[in-house]
Amino acid sequence: MGADKTDEELMLAYAEGDLLAFEMLYSRHRGLLYRFLLRGLRHRADADELFQETWSRLIAARERYRPDAKFTTWLLQIAHNLIIDRFRRQRPQVSAEEADTVLRNLDAPESEQPDHALSEFEQRRRLQLALEDLPDEQRVAFLLRIEGGLGLDEIGAITGVGRETVKSRLRYALARIRARFAT
Amino acid sequence: MTMPRDNHQDLDRLLDSGSGDLGDLYRRLPRMEPPRRLDRAVLGEAARAVRGRPPRRHRWMVGLGSAAGLVLAAGVAWHVGQDALRQQSPNSAQRGMIVVPVEPITETRRKRAPPSETKEAAPISPPQTTPTAAKPGLSRRAEARPVAKPAPTPPASAAAPPPTASPAVEPDPFPAESRMRDETATSAGAAAMQAEQDAAAKNEPAAAALKQPESKRVRTEAPPAPLSSVELRRDMQLAPDDWLAHIEQLLHQGRRQQAIESLRLFQHVYPNRPLPPNLHALDH
Repeated sequence: MGADKTDEELMLAYAEGDLLAFEMLYSRHRGLLYRFLLRGLRHRADADELFQETWSRLIAARERYRPDAKFTTWLLQIAHNLIIDRFRRQRPQVSAEEADTVLRNLDAPESEQPDHALSEFEQRRRLQLALEDLPDEQRVAFLLRIEGGLGLDEIGAITGVGRETVKSRLRYALARIRARFAT
Repeated sequence: MTMPRDNHQDLDRLLDSGSGDLGDLYRRLPRMEPPRRLDRAVLGEAARAVRGRPPRRHRWMVGLGSAAGLVLAAGVAWHVGQDALRQQSPNSAQRGMIVVPVEPITETRRKRAPPSETKEAAPISPPQTTPTAAKPGLSRRAEARPVAKPAPTPPASAAAPPPTASPAVEPDPFPAESRMRDETATSAGAAAMQAEQDAAAKNEPAAAALKQPESKRVRTEAPPAPLSSVELRRDMQLAPDDWLAHIEQLLHQGRRQQAIESLRLFQHVYPNRPLPPNLHALDH
């Protein structure tokens, strides 16, 4: 019942008062949203709070929903806005100079780079640490891509920047993650 | 695990459908799920939203507050009503029960009566001869018909009737009853009646008082405060000394009118009893 409907159809049905449609929609995206928030914010308490707040805003705006974009994009955009607000209150952004330093180090000859065959556990641990160390904008862009499966344009629409800026942020994020594996 | 270092190539892999090797690695990270309490909160909020209900947090407080307010308002209204009844009831209740408001005994009323009746007032009429004795409410008043002894000339502020059309007393729709009431109100008890019988012979001052021009007395007398004979009856039950002390106490409490009425009754009951000096002024 409702399993064959798209996210957008379910959202429209919920806006008409169909609670089962919302439950289906929620079950589809609860994990994605939670992981995006958890890895984007680093702290579980913050993730819990913004998880509930994201759904609250979605519920409040249900009657204004128009299926112009994917439901996932809309959901992640709400979450992204909340994350950015939280970032602004928490700490300053990493400067571009700092990011350039990371990239210059990555451009060192391969012979100078340690090449370790890391265990599966170590690889996952380093990825998590690398994500935590990413500047907020890069981490969010990376998570929107890798967790949300969004394309450059969608990420740009959510984050309010152009396509090239999104590509730049993703490149910087990749470079930092690679650097974590290289050490 | 060796990671490719070509940034552009790396980005292209990330933007592939599987997000490249980093995507593979990311998907092997623990699949974190929201706790159940968050699920309940979100689904509950979604349900409340489509049912058009406000958040449940304070709804019980609104109901409780409304109920408490109603109870409080009802209680206040009840008390106010009771107080109003209490304030209105003394006169009517006492009138209906046993006593009537006491008015000062003045010669004015007696003078108003025909001369023959005034003369008849000197001897005590037995209660059974009172024509209105059949009326239960009036029988006790009739028993106390006494007052041949004139009251001392009341002070100007004490025993004056209200300044109405009647020269001396307020208009009374029931003159006969009123006359008896006037005469008996100050001696509602048997002791008073007896005392007034004794005093009946000494009514010469009343004659002198009766000679005063009525209009003059009307002008000088202030309207009496409404006073119930209940209090006077209570005073009569006191011993003479206690009664006088009570009158003094009334005077100290600023209840001058009541003190005057009580003193006048005292003098009816105990005509030969000397008054304390501080009550002499009240007497005149």
